[in-house]
Amino acid sequence: MNVSDSDDDLYNERTALVPAENPTVPSYRPDADFSPPEDTPTARVAARGRPRPGVAGGGGSDQEADAEEEELTLKYGAKHVIMLFVPVTLCMVVVVATIKSVSFYTEKTDQQLIYTPFTENTSSVGRRLLNSVLNTIIMISVIVVMTIFLVVLYKYRCYKFIHGWLILSSLMLLFWFSFMYLGEVFKTYNLAMDYPTVAMMIWNFGAVGMICIHWKGPLQLQQAYLILISALMALVFIKYLPEWSAWVILGAISVYDLVAVLSPKGPLRMLVETAQERNEPIFPALIYSSAMMWTVGMASPADPADAQRSETDEEAEQNGLRAEPHSRRQTAPPEDELEEDRGVKLGLGDFIFYSVLVGKAAATGGDWNTTLACFVAILIGLCLTLLLLAIFKKALPALPISITFGLVFYFSTDFLVQPFMDNLAAHQFYI
Amino acid sequence: MNLERLPNEEKLGLCSKYYLGGFAFLPFLWLVNVVWFFQEAFVKPAFTEQLQIKTYVKRSALGLLLWVAILTTWITIFQHFRAEWGEVGDYLSFTIPL
Repeated sequence: MNVSDSDDDLYNERTALVPAENPTVPSYRPDADFSPPEDTPTARVAARGRPRPGVAGGGGSDQEADAEEEELTLKYGAKHVIMLFVPVTLCMVVVVATIKSVSFYTEKTDQQLIYTPFTENTSSVGRRLLNSVLNTIIMISVIVVMTIFLVVLYKYRCYKFIHGWLILSSLMLLFWFSFMYLGEVFKTYNLAMDYPTVAMMIWNFGAVGMICIHWKGPLQLQQAYLILISALMALVFIKYLPEWSAWVILGAISVYDLVAVLSPKGPLRMLVETAQERNEPIFPALIYSSAMMWTVGMASPADPADAQRSETDEEAEQNGLRAEPHSRRQTAPPEDELEEDRGVKLGLGDFIFYSVLVGKAAATGGDWNTTLACFVAILIGLCLTLLLLAIFKKALPALPISITFGLVFYFSTDFLVQPFMDNLAAHQFYI
Repeated sequence: MNLERLPNEEKLGLCSKYYLGGFAFLPFLWLVNVVWFFQEAFVKPAFTEQLQIKTYVKRSALGLLLWVAILTTWITIFQHFRAEWGEVGDYLSFTIPL
């Protein structure tokens, strides 16, 4: 199957972790002064802190407020980690479940994507290695070209073109790939299904998906759809990328991610910076946002929301990247503060490549040990990346650490731990 | 999208658009409408637009039930009689069990 270009943007885009945007917000250090720290190398302070005003009111309450804020900061960090763990885990679970049950995605096929033209059915190991490296080079250059093209379009404000491109690619994912997927699932479970019912199902799934992702819809449904299309994309990659090429591509794309997000001229960094300068959210079709609104104590009178809620996991979306009215009440009683937090955003490309790694481990690895090891490795990497995000407070690449850990764990588990465990079991030796 | 942060007119607008969109053979959209606006329509204390939102939610629920009935009937008929229909059955089939 020749996969067309239009589905590229989902994975060459935004493989980065972006903190919530609030350009006017000062750092969230407990003892902050409220001007952006001048020593940060980047001009913007994309902090997702809460500006706890110097609580006017008893002097003795200052220290308590500080300690409280410190504790709140830590709890806040953990919550975000969990809020990203859940979707990443769900995506991987969907992919692994499909791989293990529907054999279509693990069947050997001679069809390859046009981006990986070199076959791996060669006789010698050296030749195979060379072919996989060549495939990787082609794939990465395609991704680089697409990303630069996207950034150029964004810089010159060709929004219509970008939207059209995104809509086409999500159309293809939501309709064509899910149609294929549904067909394979029915074949696996040997169910009879008629065209009218299938047409209804795919039409409903796809149309509501388009509405939720590109227009307005409930946040949880949008998140679910983004997870599903990432899983579908990952499955396509797992099926059509040849074995060794897939691993080399995973490694290469983490390096590319690192370069593209951190280096000053990197395309992804320019994309994020331009979006922040213009105070616009990055296209919702490319980013998963785990937005959360946190109301502490009484809401301000201007807020139509219900008062007296101590904590609500509301969906605060879409325009969430704009500078929200960060109401910092200088009033004496601290309960009159309304604090909001926009959550952390993770690019869909990250979901896709995490799932590709775990899916490949499930498809070709020994057994569940390998899969679980890769899964844990990726989550640990994500944790570390979020920690770094909390420290550096600017967009970070989410792929390198996780993929490195994942690759290390995959190869070591497959080649060292697995035979070790098998031997122990064979000799009934328990440790 | 946080419904809490929208003014009431916009909520009504959204609800009505979802309701109208469901007529394009999209019972799933009606389901989303019912679930999403249920709290607004029936649980929240009254506000001006609530009556209209209530009607939309009720009609979406009706439409949804109708579609569920139609689809269930058709699926039952198809699954039961598929083998007997011979060629027509195969023509209609997307997947045929072995």
